[in-house]
Amino acid sequence: MGVIKSARPVVIGLEVHLQLNTSSKLFCSCSTDYIGRTPNTNVCPICLAVPGTLPIINDRAVALGARMGLGLHCEIQNYSNFHRKNYFYPDLPKAYQITQYELPIAVGGYMDIEGDGGPKRVRIHHLHLEEDAGKLVHPTTDGRMTGAAYSLVDYNRGGVPLSEVVSEPDMSSPAEAREYVTRLRQLARYLDVSDGEMESGSLRVDANISLSNADGSLGTRVEIKNMNSFKSIERALEYEIGRQNKVLASGGRIIQETRLWDDSEGVTRSMRNKETASDYRYYPEMDLAPIVITDEEIEKFKEDIPELPWEKRERFARDFGLSKEEISVLTEQKELAAYYEGVVNAGAPPERAANWVRMEVLRVINEAGCSITGFGVKPAVLAELVRKIENRELSNTVGKDVLDLLVKDGCSLEDAINRSGASSAKLTGSSLDGLIATVMEANADVVGVIKSGQDKKGGKAKFLHGLIMKESRGQADPKEAAEALSRMLEL
Amino acid sequence: MEIYELTAREVADGIKAKKFSAEDVTRTCLARLSSLEGYLNACITVAEDSAVAKAREIDSRLARGDEIGPLAGVPYIAKDNFCSKGVRTTCSSKILENWTPTYDASAISYMNGAGAVLMAKSNLDEFAMGSSTENSIIGPTKNPRDLRRVPGGSSGGSAAAVAAGYCPIALGSDTGGSVRQPAAFCGIQGMKPSYGEVSRYGVVAYASSLDQVSPLARSVEDLAIAMEVLARPDPNDTTCDAYDRPKFSDSLSLRDLKGKRIGVFAGFGAEEIDADLYGALTSAAEHCRSAGAEIEPIDLPIAVKYGVATYYVTALADASSQLACYDGIRYGAHTDGQTLADMYSNTRTVSFGEEVRRRIILGTALLTEGYYQNYYGPALKVRTKMVKEFDDLFERFDAYLLPTSPSMPYMLGMKEEDPTRMYLGDVFTVPISLGGLPGINISMGLTGEGLPLSVQLVGQRYDDARLLGIASVIERLAGRPGIANPNLPQNAEKRRG
Repeated sequence: MGVIKSARPVVIGLEVHLQLNTSSKLFCSCSTDYIGRTPNTNVCPICLAVPGTLPIINDRAVALGARMGLGLHCEIQNYSNFHRKNYFYPDLPKAYQITQYELPIAVGGYMDIEGDGGPKRVRIHHLHLEEDAGKLVHPTTDGRMTGAAYSLVDYNRGGVPLSEVVSEPDMSSPAEAREYVTRLRQLARYLDVSDGEMESGSLRVDANISLSNADGSLGTRVEIKNMNSFKSIERALEYEIGRQNKVLASGGRIIQETRLWDDSEGVTRSMRNKETASDYRYYPEMDLAPIVITDEEIEKFKEDIPELPWEKRERFARDFGLSKEEISVLTEQKELAAYYEGVVNAGAPPERAANWVRMEVLRVINEAGCSITGFGVKPAVLAELVRKIENRELSNTVGKDVLDLLVKDGCSLEDAINRSGASSAKLTGSSLDGLIATVMEANADVVGVIKSGQDKKGGKAKFLHGLIMKESRGQADPKEAAEALSRMLEL
Repeated sequence: MEIYELTAREVADGIKAKKFSAEDVTRTCLARLSSLEGYLNACITVAEDSAVAKAREIDSRLARGDEIGPLAGVPYIAKDNFCSKGVRTTCSSKILENWTPTYDASAISYMNGAGAVLMAKSNLDEFAMGSSTENSIIGPTKNPRDLRRVPGGSSGGSAAAVAAGYCPIALGSDTGGSVRQPAAFCGIQGMKPSYGEVSRYGVVAYASSLDQVSPLARSVEDLAIAMEVLARPDPNDTTCDAYDRPKFSDSLSLRDLKGKRIGVFAGFGAEEIDADLYGALTSAAEHCRSAGAEIEPIDLPIAVKYGVATYYVTALADASSQLACYDGIRYGAHTDGQTLADMYSNTRTVSFGEEVRRRIILGTALLTEGYYQNYYGPALKVRTKMVKEFDDLFERFDAYLLPTSPSMPYMLGMKEEDPTRMYLGDVFTVPISLGGLPGINISMGLTGEGLPLSVQLVGQRYDDARLLGIASVIERLAGRPGIANPNLPQNAEKRRG
């Protein structure tokens, strides 16, 4: 996606909600695995706000929040607490959301992204913990509340733990916004903090966007919600830039408001009649003791941080001498990177291994629609295959057939090589000479041209060499074949 | 002496010694209840069948020689804001009129686990908001010492029940005096433990940072036994402290107050106090002196001047949020409306009483942008200063004596019209709540007209056991309260049958 044209500088800040990878909800022991469950079965007295119940903090959620904060170079707070955000809505059983407000768990920090004009640092304002709400279901054809005779509410999701990462307004284009979310998701996945699936809602993005004035001062910001894919983040922001430019160009004024992205129409719409400008009457949550994290615990969290994407990228460049492009593909998912490293550690040459993982392994798993964790060929087996290719025991072409057989039939490498039609024995010596003789016979005219000395640039000889390699199904060593051909052509 | 006049300890001992069965006790107490309930109106729900069944179970366990708990066979009554599995829990509100919890409050589980028999759920001011037990769906509870007077509140039903001999022990909740003041009005002992001492899980909240489960009884010893059952860490309430409690009844071995320093509140000025209650305070101080304590006058300027305002700002703000869950969707009363907002407003207007609505509206205003900075924020700061004022005094004193209420139990209907006047009656109890301190109402006998006198003994936070020890010495000198035998009107029209 190219850089969008805007008459005025674009300023974007993002609020990203990540559903934390815990097995239970933030304040009760209900499961977080709510998708597809019968409505209102994944609930208990606590998350239904039954009178008399009290929240109990999920320590795992606190640890994951701190972990994500550390990944974002934030300062983890020794003391943080929760507030109540009060508003009435049927999906919120207590009529307040328990959220961190004044003292969030992680403050400050940054994330480096590939900006439109090169590397860019996006500052992180803070990361806080909060509970998710339930879901309303409106029995109208378009699923909207307007016109519905009644609405249904499902509390299965209510109380699922979220961390909200709030950036500073440091992004200057929809592409940068998308890149930021991509990198944030990658980090969350590296840290096992969140699945970061936008489709299932475990990653949700709200954007604040404004166009700066001629004097450089910030314009009025508009909040965009309801962007359900990476593509829609970009599209919604592009639309909004166009809309705001148009309003300003015609002498209009931007209103501070929340707008919803309509993906099918490709427009943002003002959220009318909603409690957007409400006063949430935040005040401290007295039912929960404050979260206290000691310096020792923070150190422990730090020790538990695995290699992060940028560290892995650096190491891959240093240790394996790969290109930026190769590294970017291989490190996108830590599981793929681990697979690649497994192949190299099992003895495959790094560059050829990179090529094979990037081109062939990814092709196979994309075709199968599975992930690298579901890929059946063990790194050691792929390493062996890659090594055989490197040693010219197998050609690339046969190698691909072998890989397909390994995936399809789950057989051993030896079986796969045999069944691919290539015997592991090389075509060499007199058998190779025999094949060359056959090829020469079938192409007597070409041989004639060469022997008459007209093949000054060696193009005809190369042509014959190619035919021999093809006929040998790659079992001939290209170098040996070239030498034998020269000998038999008496060159 | 009738069984219903015995203390919890005497009942438990009698059952263990097989002087009488648990069923005898429960049936006697139920009979006492039904003979007076038509006049007192202390209970919202009487769980007669399950109580008798539980008592029989205790008897058969005793017959089998099973281990039985410290309160085995002792009937008790819980305020109707304690969730009790299978027993309707109304909070005295129309909004929960037909609500039956699916779980027991931790305090109820602990009492049941100790062998106590839940006999009834008692009357209260709606959602524990009030000081007279007049704001109730079943109408006011009467004071058993004088049926024309209020029993205090909001745990007025529990206090009246214990005073009248329905049961030796009852549970209440004390947010700003809701157990200490009705104990004072009904002439019994009542203790608000330190905040964090007893789990609040399952007690329908009024104000989270102040609510505390509090026992009522006719002896300090029974309070100590109740505390041994109730005060323990609870994984369901993270504000309930996780430390090992001392054995509360051990503190009762205290024989005198030698070496103790007790501060006696002398800061009366703007706040008038009833002459009889002033007399009770003076005689309590005399008892302490005669038991060997050093007595010194103290003043609590911040607590007395700012306590009520700070308390109401804090508690009302919390209440507005705490009661927001009653939206007519998941449980409780529901009134339809054309829109979502109408449904909320209709449900809450129809089913909350006037005092609850007043407090929700005030609390909502207090948290609103602008007001928060002028009220809630400063209230938090004043609260910190008040805690400091108490802490400073505790460097010199082991405990303080002050009145529980500035006034004697007043006539029914007298303060309903003037909520502010009623709020001022909490002047001596709310600062103790804001400080998270333990406070015990100790009966100081009756006036010539038979009205109860009392004093409030306050200790340092988490010093509950030692405070019970001092209270037991005072009780020994002042006399343990007896049960009230209400002067029943001739041809009285029973309010409820």
